[in-house]
Amino acid sequence: MPVILDRRSVSIAVLATLVAGMSRPAAAKDTGLIFVSNEKSNNIIIIDPKTQKVIRDVKTSRRPRDMHFSADRSKLYVACGDDDVIDIIDVAKLEVIGRIPTGPSPETFAIDENRRRIYVANEEGSTLSIIDLDQAIVVHEVPTGAEPEGVLISEDGKIVYVTSEVGDIIHMIDAEGGHVIQDVVVGTRPRRFAATPDRKELWVTTELSGEVYIIDRDKFVVSGKIEFLPPGMRKSDVTPVGLVMTKDGKTAFVTLGHAAHVAVVDVPTRKISGYILVGKRSWGVTLTRDERTLYVANGFGDDITVIDVRSRKATISIPVGRIPWGVIIDD
Amino acid sequence: MLLSRVWWPLPCGNGGALPPAANTRERGTPDASPPRCARREGRHLRRWGTFALDILLAAGFASAAVAQSPPAPQPKVTIGFVEIDGDPRHEPIRAYERLVLKAREHPFAGAQVAIAEAQALTRVLKIDFALERITVKSVEAVAPAVLQARQDRDIHFFVLDAPADAFRPLAEAVRGRDLLLFNATAPDDWLRRELCRREVVHTLPSLAMNMDAIVQYLVSRKWRDVLLLHGPLPADIATAAAFELSVKKFGARVVAKKEFTTGTDPREREQNNPLLLTAINRDYDVVFVADDAFDFARQVPFQTVRARPVVGAIELEPVAWHWTWERNGGPQINTRFARATNGRRMEGADWAAWIAVKMVVQAALRTRSAEFGAQRAFILGDNSFDGYKGLAVSVRRWDQQLRQAVFLSAPYAVVASAPIEGFLHRTNTLDTLGDDEPETPCRLNR
Repeated sequence: MPVILDRRSVSIAVLATLVAGMSRPAAAKDTGLIFVSNEKSNNIIIIDPKTQKVIRDVKTSRRPRDMHFSADRSKLYVACGDDDVIDIIDVAKLEVIGRIPTGPSPETFAIDENRRRIYVANEEGSTLSIIDLDQAIVVHEVPTGAEPEGVLISEDGKIVYVTSEVGDIIHMIDAEGGHVIQDVVVGTRPRRFAATPDRKELWVTTELSGEVYIIDRDKFVVSGKIEFLPPGMRKSDVTPVGLVMTKDGKTAFVTLGHAAHVAVVDVPTRKISGYILVGKRSWGVTLTRDERTLYVANGFGDDITVIDVRSRKATISIPVGRIPWGVIIDD
Repeated sequence: MLLSRVWWPLPCGNGGALPPAANTRERGTPDASPPRCARREGRHLRRWGTFALDILLAAGFASAAVAQSPPAPQPKVTIGFVEIDGDPRHEPIRAYERLVLKAREHPFAGAQVAIAEAQALTRVLKIDFALERITVKSVEAVAPAVLQARQDRDIHFFVLDAPADAFRPLAEAVRGRDLLLFNATAPDDWLRRELCRREVVHTLPSLAMNMDAIVQYLVSRKWRDVLLLHGPLPADIATAAAFELSVKKFGARVVAKKEFTTGTDPREREQNNPLLLTAINRDYDVVFVADDAFDFARQVPFQTVRARPVVGAIELEPVAWHWTWERNGGPQINTRFARATNGRRMEGADWAAWIAVKMVVQAALRTRSAEFGAQRAFILGDNSFDGYKGLAVSVRRWDQQLRQAVFLSAPYAVVASAPIEGFLHRTNTLDTLGDDEPETPCRLNR
């Protein structure tokens, strides 16, 4: 059974279990298919990257938002905020095959395949739910500040970082103990994370203050921040939400929300090297594995923008469902 | 005379009213009864108890409370919420004796929600936040109650749920003192223009802002010709005057202005019949109604001679907040508010009380201080706050009005958020609403 694994997220332990012959429902095919979650039309739109056409429309529970693949890429997990569940989509069949109950209004989550856990931020519950992946039940709830959003697991799985949009703080949570170890105050309305590959820094978008805060992971203090202002835009329109970093840790792409641009940041120098025009309320952003193409979900354009990374130009926009939230690629 | 109630983040010895979930959360069990519980307010207490449990779990306060028993004393910032018992502005508007059209509740719940949100920060800041509800019997009792709370309980911040009349004696009483009042319910322009006091921040949009918002929208739709109907109340006359100023400011036109009366007297039919009032020779794009009592306004839509939309007091209203706002985190705060109030829909004054408390909390967070002077400087300084309305809100230095978006709400949707796209300003488009620096007689913080 040929299994192609995502090198970014697979772990030795998972590999071991696969080699050991643990059964999986279907083998991933590295289809390159693009999955877009749409908050208001309650579906995942699937796009063929070669033809750039919509090929499937998968109905989900209400308000689908964050999406993650299982390590073997056979399943896609989708947090559905208005039904308090994570839907499980069979990637081969492209249909919903199960649901995992969460806390109130799950928004973003992260999967730790080693520990067989999902960490999900419940926007309206002010908690981080820890879900046992195999039993599909909430095993623990960690109280957080109001409106928790971004969730990031440390490489060793011992720490989970969570933002609180209302509290303007980042929680460092002990994954085993299930409690907050430390907090750090950042800008207004912190949203999502990226970690530098050298494991030294945590980048956090702060939507209302229009910045990215950089946190020193060892000391857990703010070590810097980056402000954005695309030409011709007003500071108040700059509402950064999504961000993604290249594997070499040199370049970051930050979606600027209502400012309708993606900022390109040189990570080592923390300097902005350019802006790319996209649609309105750009949030979700993802890179293909070869890092040649960037996809951006435009919440108020009901479309996604496809960007050629090398030329830094938007090449096409593709209509999807209503209020697209995020994009993820099966590659 | 003075009723004072202290609200704590823990349920006040009212465990019996808690939902069963309370018993299953081992760390959620409140262990200590706070010193002053609001026992006489059973109804509120039960609501608050349920809500507090949410927050308790949410904020991780419970674990902190259990871990440190008794909790180490840390500085506390208390915010007073001052309201008047029997305030006519909060009397329900009724069609008949039992048919309530608008409940018009006190916005205390807005402040409660904000103080609950702050509980997550007590750990980071090592500052506690509390809210004290101060209910007085009359407008005259507001100023003494504020002074007493300042002297006896060291309260510096007050959210005022009081009509404009209360502010003149209050402003005299607190002049030069180290306290800050947030006006959360009085839209009157004269408070911002003539009274003009540095001890007062206005978190509710002014009447001028509301009128500018609606006129911007009309002009953006090219509905420039307006038939203006207003009632006999002073508030109606003030609204009509403010509307006319906005019309002038943005290049619309009032083609006719008529005063209505309520009733069915056939001798007054020219004034009390919407059909006759709207039957004028000149055409108009829209009918604007100024009617604080609301009884007439609700009978105008679909009763006009021409097929024209009705705006102002009904149908399309300028508001500080609306329960259907879907952007900028709106659904989250609407849900939190509804949960705290047994399903009440959050309104403009609730928002104004909520943001006032939030501004104090933010000031503590950003200055890392429980000291009043530092917090006041932060609030009045050039700092912005997250109002869940898109553009960040901040205090205008000239009249201490909170600059903010104004929603134009239909009954079931926010039609637009002003400033409307295309209305530009040299520094901040929010200052296209209401009194900009060159326009106001108020010159604070110069």
